[in-house]
Amino acid sequence: MKKLLLLSLMMLSSCTLVDAYLMTHYDPNEYATITGIRALAQMAKEQCDDPVASRANAIKLEQDTQFFVLFSEHVPRNDDVVSASKDLHVIAQGLSDQYIKTGKVSVGFCKIKFASIESNADKMQTVIGKRPR
Amino acid sequence: MSVETHQGQLGQAFTSPDPVIQQAANTANQYTEMFKAGQLTKDEYMQAMADLNNTARIQQSMNDMANLEMLNTAINGLINLASLAG
Repeated sequence: MKKLLLLSLMMLSSCTLVDAYLMTHYDPNEYATITGIRALAQMAKEQCDDPVASRANAIKLEQDTQFFVLFSEHVPRNDDVVSASKDLHVIAQGLSDQYIKTGKVSVGFCKIKFASIESNADKMQTVIGKRPR
Repeated sequence: MSVETHQGQLGQAFTSPDPVIQQAANTANQYTEMFKAGQLTKDEYMQAMADLNNTARIQQSMNDMANLEMLNTAINGLINLASLAG
């Protein structure tokens, strides 16, 4: 059995092995934050016909995704989540900026943006939820 | 180069074996049709298309992390088995 373990470990590159073995463990606060982002985007998608509510939702999601970037960035061995959280924030910020700069956003664009935030947050939530305990 | 030419290139991506590329091509085509129908402004269309790159990067990061999680489970499982074997 020890030989099998040694052989398995030798087949993997040492960096990948170390990254996997020492990877950051599950954090319920991190999981709750990404769940909140997903839930808000899911709800906001249904409110795109109401420009006042949509504007408020877009600004709230920009703030929430920025919080997630700041939450993630000083957690050790967390490069993948840091990178993904920054990309998610860019998507959210684009919609918020559009509301602030133009004051008018089409219903189609509103739905596209909230749906994109929701599906990306869903993917992130799935992976974050499977972190080692 | 016309819109139709680029949409034709998207059509080639529909047959990609990679489901992420297929999905991105499908979404890009949908956005282009919405733009052509006047449902998106130019700025909105450009931003929606740029977001496809952000989405692809998120997918890549999460796929990498999911692979590390599987490896972590396997390593810990092998260590547990080895410790039981004595």
